[in-house]
Amino acid sequence: MGKYILRRLVISVLTLWLLATASFFLLRVLPGNPFQTEKLLTVEMQQKMIHYYGLDKPMLEQYVTYMGNLLHGDMGYSMKFTNRTVNSIITSGFPVSAALGLRALAVALPIGLFLGILSARKRGKAMDYLAVLVSVIGVSIPSFIMGTFLQYIFAVQLKILPIAQWKGEAYAILPTAALALALLASLTRVMRASMLEVTTQDYVKTARAKGLGEGRVVFFHQIRNALVPIVTMLGPMVASVLMGTFVIEKIFAIPGLGQHFVNSITGLDYTVTLGLTIFYGAFLVAANFLVDIAYGLVDPRIRIAK
Amino acid sequence: MTQRILEVNNLAYSFDTYAGEVQAVRGVSFHVDAGETLAIVGESGCGKTVSVQAILKLLPEPPGRLVGGSIRYLGEEISQHNPKKMSRLRGKEMSIIFQDPMTSLNPTMRIGKQIVEGIRKHERISRREGRARAIQMLGKVGIPSPERNMNRFPHQFSGGMRQRVMIAMALACKPRILFADEPTTALDVTTQAQILELMHALKQEFNASVVMITHDLSVVARVSQRIAVMYAGKIVETGNVRDIFYDPRHPYTWGLLQSVPHREGDRRQELIAIPGTPPDLFHPPAGCGFASRCRYCMGVCKQMEPPQTDLGNGHLVSCWLLDGRAPKTDTPPLAQRKGVQANG
Amino acid sequence: MRNETIQLPEAAFVPIGLTLSDAESISRPSITFWADVRRRLLKNKVAMLGLWLILLMTLFAIVAPIVSPFSYSYQDLAIINQGPSAAHWFGTDSLGRDIWVRVWVGARVSLAVGIFGSVIPSLLGIIIGGISGYFGGKIDMLIMRFIDIVMCIPGMIYVILIMLYVGSGPVAIVLAFALTGWMGTARSVRGLVLQLKEREFVLASRALGASHMRLIFDHLVPNTLGIVVVSMTMGVPSAIFQEAYLSFIGLGIAPPIPSWGQLANAGVALFRVFPSQLFIPAILISLTMLSFNLFGDGLRDALDPRLRM
Repeated sequence: MGKYILRRLVISVLTLWLLATASFFLLRVLPGNPFQTEKLLTVEMQQKMIHYYGLDKPMLEQYVTYMGNLLHGDMGYSMKFTNRTVNSIITSGFPVSAALGLRALAVALPIGLFLGILSARKRGKAMDYLAVLVSVIGVSIPSFIMGTFLQYIFAVQLKILPIAQWKGEAYAILPTAALALALLASLTRVMRASMLEVTTQDYVKTARAKGLGEGRVVFFHQIRNALVPIVTMLGPMVASVLMGTFVIEKIFAIPGLGQHFVNSITGLDYTVTLGLTIFYGAFLVAANFLVDIAYGLVDPRIRIAK
Repeated sequence: MTQRILEVNNLAYSFDTYAGEVQAVRGVSFHVDAGETLAIVGESGCGKTVSVQAILKLLPEPPGRLVGGSIRYLGEEISQHNPKKMSRLRGKEMSIIFQDPMTSLNPTMRIGKQIVEGIRKHERISRREGRARAIQMLGKVGIPSPERNMNRFPHQFSGGMRQRVMIAMALACKPRILFADEPTTALDVTTQAQILELMHALKQEFNASVVMITHDLSVVARVSQRIAVMYAGKIVETGNVRDIFYDPRHPYTWGLLQSVPHREGDRRQELIAIPGTPPDLFHPPAGCGFASRCRYCMGVCKQMEPPQTDLGNGHLVSCWLLDGRAPKTDTPPLAQRKGVQANG
Repeated sequence: MRNETIQLPEAAFVPIGLTLSDAESISRPSITFWADVRRRLLKNKVAMLGLWLILLMTLFAIVAPIVSPFSYSYQDLAIINQGPSAAHWFGTDSLGRDIWVRVWVGARVSLAVGIFGSVIPSLLGIIIGGISGYFGGKIDMLIMRFIDIVMCIPGMIYVILIMLYVGSGPVAIVLAFALTGWMGTARSVRGLVLQLKEREFVLASRALGASHMRLIFDHLVPNTLGIVVVSMTMGVPSAIFQEAYLSFIGLGIAPPIPSWGQLANAGVALFRVFPSQLFIPAILISLTMLSFNLFGDGLRDALDPRLRM
């Protein structure tokens, strides 16, 4: 297991470095500068700002400086909101986004897995068709569209839930639902397929042949093995929840990190875009790393060589 | 008078597929007495696996369906047992080991636990006792360092070792009858011999009966007392080992015996195979299933199914050649065995 | 004990010998793999529904803008934000443009982006994955390591970064997808090729002296075709989704060229008052994704040899 972890660790670090480098150079070659849109700044003042942010130094020097700062955890100041550091943006926005994301995962995982198992067990019956239908629809409707639908139905028409913002428990319901639905649908599909695959395996027959009760067969032999492919999905799942927060936050006016990210892109706020990209990257790399470990734990064939 | 452990009469099992009904087993009858080994021999697709799995109710239903027949275990009819009752029998009274050891064990569960869970389902013993029993069984089947190895996972063992684990699992609760579905087909010849030896020794020790399914006649000769030859969903000939090898009466049995290469035979001679392929079980033939491949085929063979003839001593044959009106036919020379060591 | 009680004519017992023609006859009509796939697919009503919807939408996308009297950019500020009417079947938007025409021009864009955005990365992925798997060795290791490292981060982030550089527009989007979307397909094709390489029929072919080209085209391609086609089909809803997503965060197709994602984005701003401007493109996006998903699922099931009974 140790060797496996080490390999994943090295890959993770390389990924981060690649991402930071790529983002840095990509953003630097973009035409224009963030101060162009500030109508109040004269050209001279723009030049002064450019100089202050070191944007006129040779590319390589900027890169080295940036990397050095990065290793210290310093990601610089926002170019738009000049009194805020990127770090402070992260610390104010991330908890909100994380709360949203975690809620979505906490809702989607148990329900999705349960539906998938149920659907597979009752294959061909009404429950199965219903679950498959719901999951196919859920996968086909993008989360932001679902978000606006939910807003329309529950907030505008029925008026039983708040339409936007993040001020209390009730505010979290619609955004969480919007994020969770697509995830849930996808989980149901995969779990169902995985269960069906496992059910035809010989070792399930062996378990029954030993006289084990159905409950034990389903839990320890079927579900236990069906979960293995699900674990490999967890990485992309976390990533898609993360990407989902960008748009959901926009629709529901939630003051999370996603909003800042999207705004920094259109506002050409380099340091924020760069900083957040690296932050997200690091977060996802860490998440993937944890998932890899979980995969090793769940499938003994990975962690124990012959 | 030895006890009759299992009696199967006219077992018929079919599969309902999108293309129609596949009659996999079309009326199979056999019995197993205490302490004996019955071999069921036949080519792939003849229904031997389905018969045995149908007895244990291990086939998914749908598409499987028990069409008819009686299955008596120790005199009690079990063909209509619900899953709960069957689960009490499986593992405790009747066990089975499957053909492919690579896929028959749960890859995410330690082998010790896989043995213990079977024992604790049927006997009220503590976890510690269960582990001790598992270690004991692993030792009996020849797994080295059982205390350490019981915590390993199946993928850490070779095919032969895994099959031993399967045997340990199957015999852990001392069942009266063990079904072995081609237990050695997936193994190399040396391992094959070892596994057969092991099964033989354990059978004596546990005083169990064995139903051995195989397509390999050499295996049959070594381990069984009685043989049932199966073809196209029916049993065509049954008898004890001596009768089958020295006095076979069914043309299919002749074909099987002829096709085994002789050790002392002429090396320049071509291998003899039975021409043709088994019939389609979607539309089973009206007459004898073997008719179109049989060189002794007569008109009646294609029209009507042959009745069963009892030649005494438990030697049963279903063939029109035994009818008084059929021309006298001798056993072909290569189908006759001399000096075969039958197992007592 | 000889049984002579059954009444049968003497002639019944005359030997007639081997009748092999019966023995070798196969009573189930034989059917080629692809014919079987087509049969199973056609039987799958849900998948066929998906296919019909796709064809219907394509038809509308091609014909509707040609037939309509309005162009997608014509503005008539006197009739802004109107609901559906006889003249404007889907109503008008905030600049007085006919939504029906814009929706179907947008359909052209979204569908084109969706299809090319799936097919091109898939083709790239097949080639790269195929080379990697077939030749193995150092090339394989390098490519796989590269993919491992890059894929830790979701493609969308790279797409965003690329779009920032390349600008907006359908070509830019397809380019961004092409650059980032080949990796998943490459991985699975490589895995498949590795498996197939070791299969007996390939070894047999090589023993008979087949050249690389022959092996690739006669053996490997037909066996990977199924997986590839399914992945391309399932890639389309994914590409459509990504385009909509990008438009939603302001990076997608720039106005006045409409795309469904862009129309949806514009609709969000107004949806409390004029919900139809959001819902129409939203429903179309979802319906298209659903159709491709249903058809793709059906295709996958039809190609699965285990479901063949």
